[in-house]
Amino acid sequence: MKYFYLILILGFSYLSLADTENSVLVKGGNVFLPDQGFVKKDLLIEEGKIVSIEDQIDDGVTGKTIYADGKYITPGLVVFSSLGLLEIGALSETNDNSSDIYNAGFDPSKAYNPFSQAVRLNRSKGVTSTVHIPGASGYFSGLLSHTKINNGWKQKKQGPLAVLTSYGQSRGDSRAAELQFMSDLMDFVRNRPEDKANYETDNIQFFFGTQNDYQFTNRDLVAIRKLLSNELPLVVRVNKATDILNVIKFADTEGIELILWEANEAHMVADEIAKAGVPVVLDPLNNIPGSFDSLNATYENVARLNAAGVKMAFYYNQGAGSHNAYLATQSAGNAVAMGVPYNEALNAITKNPADIFGLVDVGQVSVGFEGDIAIWDADPLELTSFVEKVLIDGVEQDLSNRYEELTDRYTKEKDLPNSYRSRE
Amino acid sequence: MIRKLFLSLLLLVLFGCSNDSFPSMQDEAEGSVTKFNNDTHGTYGSTYVPLSSENAVIRNATIFDGLGNMYENYDVHFSDGKIQALGMNLQVDAKEIDGTGKYVSPGIIDIHSHMGVYPAPGVRTSSDGNEATSPVTAEVWAEHSVWSQDPQYKLALAGGVTSFHVLPGSANLFGGRGVTLKNVSANTVTAMKFPDAPHTLKMACGENPKRVYSSRGPSTRMGNVAGYREAWIGAEKYKKSLEKDPSSRNLRNETLVGVLDGEILIQNHCYRADEMATMINISKEFDYKITTFHHAVEAYKIADLLADEGVCAAMWADWWGFKHEAYDMTIANVAIVDQARDGTGCAIVHSDSASGIQRLNQEAAKALAAGNKAGFNISEARAMTWITQNPAKAAGILDQTGTLEAGKNADIVIWDGNPFSVYTKAEHVFIDGALAFDKATQFMPHTDFDLGVKEWEGE
Repeated sequence: MKYFYLILILGFSYLSLADTENSVLVKGGNVFLPDQGFVKKDLLIEEGKIVSIEDQIDDGVTGKTIYADGKYITPGLVVFSSLGLLEIGALSETNDNSSDIYNAGFDPSKAYNPFSQAVRLNRSKGVTSTVHIPGASGYFSGLLSHTKINNGWKQKKQGPLAVLTSYGQSRGDSRAAELQFMSDLMDFVRNRPEDKANYETDNIQFFFGTQNDYQFTNRDLVAIRKLLSNELPLVVRVNKATDILNVIKFADTEGIELILWEANEAHMVADEIAKAGVPVVLDPLNNIPGSFDSLNATYENVARLNAAGVKMAFYYNQGAGSHNAYLATQSAGNAVAMGVPYNEALNAITKNPADIFGLVDVGQVSVGFEGDIAIWDADPLELTSFVEKVLIDGVEQDLSNRYEELTDRYTKEKDLPNSYRSRE
Repeated sequence: MIRKLFLSLLLLVLFGCSNDSFPSMQDEAEGSVTKFNNDTHGTYGSTYVPLSSENAVIRNATIFDGLGNMYENYDVHFSDGKIQALGMNLQVDAKEIDGTGKYVSPGIIDIHSHMGVYPAPGVRTSSDGNEATSPVTAEVWAEHSVWSQDPQYKLALAGGVTSFHVLPGSANLFGGRGVTLKNVSANTVTAMKFPDAPHTLKMACGENPKRVYSSRGPSTRMGNVAGYREAWIGAEKYKKSLEKDPSSRNLRNETLVGVLDGEILIQNHCYRADEMATMINISKEFDYKITTFHHAVEAYKIADLLADEGVCAAMWADWWGFKHEAYDMTIANVAIVDQARDGTGCAIVHSDSASGIQRLNQEAAKALAAGNKAGFNISEARAMTWITQNPAKAAGILDQTGTLEAGKNADIVIWDGNPFSVYTKAEHVFIDGALAFDKATQFMPHTDFDLGVKEWEGE
């Protein structure tokens, strides 16, 4: 009882002392709560954080109110992409997402460009942050990290979150040899004196490595050590069911935390994945037997994994990929059509990415979480719905983008030559 | 081992055929110097035989007829492979299919597919879509690369696709002939070929040819254009030479002359608006018609020109950014093209993807929503034409399919809800009146490649 009053007093004083300049009330909308789905609630955000979710919050408490009657409010989408690191796919000069120098230790997030047109488009479609998926050319693809995609020069970042590699036919050598190599590499790093890391700065070659695939700099070995000390999980892009089992066994033997990526045949070993407590990040739309590693690819992948109790996060990996990362909603909508419960599908593009990668205070509309939300005119997973407002850290975002401007230029003021039409 | 044997047999068959083809081709050519340019009945003609058609009536459904109309509580009767009637309370003696709460549309048609020529699994040994050995390979035919056992066909069928147009890739200025296929299971390509569908010729603008041939040329867009023009000049010469010697064969020029004679339809990969306009100029110089621009990311910039010239634009709803010429994307592209010159534009949503072809209805939905957000007032019924009537027109098969009209092929999809919703699935697909796909029973054709793969089934 004592605590109740304390909370009441603290809560009240917090409210009354709040700086109304930095607070926003979202009123009357259907708010997506992680365990309940859409519920009509009012939402108060102060100093960038969600401080209150109630049936009714008086709009006298704040300077700014967004009336959201009939609207749908979700956490901002957390996508997996190269947003801000890649402007045009085929132009390597606009690609900061790959490295030939580093692999496991490669962190592309410092190159993030907040003014990328792809960033602006995706923000206007409800994305509030991205997990960067690195694309280094070596044995590991690099470090995953998380960046908010708000306007302006400064972005909140979290990470590094994990190290990415791949296993299966994408590697040139025998699967057996690759497993042996990974195991030897872990032994090498484990037995490497800690202090060596401090003076050994030269590019070292592991064993007989002459190809880039088998070269590691000190920075890479430091990142690999973090796998062994469980500071970072290992994300493995792997599809074939037998490979998935081998990777689970490998991670278990080495004492490494594992996250599966892509995993087209995961449904065949769903129970084993569930038993190992390994989460899976995948695109529900991958149903093509596109390689001999994915002969059993099926639309049913996500429903089977869900039934087995596997934790999943979804991304969109069709067509233009990262540039359309916001279409994670389409992937999630299709997952619903395939039998994944609606709330689970929406969590898979908001809350679950945060849970799986240990992101702090993002990915859900809950008290104490950061005020990253999207306000939709209708069901956010439906193809014909639109985002009307996006808040990141409680700040309403500029949703203008080059593609809306192009649309306007060619649908309005058509009597003027193109170049003289408005430029917003 | 068996697969190896199959491959060598296949090679043998192909080699065996090529020697025998000349006499009959020349027979076909008799009386017309260019008849072999569009060989639909001769050696390579369709041998398609439909499955036996149902005599059925779908009752009380919401119907998109593919002509831009929507009818509620309507019936569709089909038998003998053809659509017999649309109407309310049709008085017919036929198998009853309850369409209450369902939607019915024409079979979906994709004007841009590489299924069969880039089959799954994607391995070097069956990557047969680009004869990237010369900038001009008008002599190659995509149908001669198609693998009839590609496991991707049935995935498209589950998305309502009843016909699709297979094109060579875009490495070359002239990539070769395209072929329209029925989405049916068959052991030969000719048995999949859409009867009486015209041949097409793939051309490609822009980045791809100039990149692939940068060392030997063309290495610029102006080099590309010179390459097209030189090829057409060569075709004109060849056409003249046929007057003296009608039997002289030249595979490359036969295709090009087929275009000049209006028998072969041009399918032109072209992203940028200014390049499309240039391609139209070239078509006027040599007096041929461009049927469709494909991947026309910038079509909206010249939507009026395309409508005036009667050229269709085949577009993705929202793909962009993977290359420079795909940078100026707007999701309203399809709608702007559709609405040009008082709605006389010919807009098509295409896939170019074995994934996208499975959800052309969803792609059309996004394009429709973006168009209406941009201020148009386009109906769902109209948007349905983007993936039915218009691609049928672009493939030259609109007289046979693409709309639900009496007398046309009974290529029909029954959807379990509104096809413009992400949650909707095709329930039944009929091709020429025969049931080709049934979602509830998972009735669908499995290719030979599928056999033995799905070890998890039945567990």
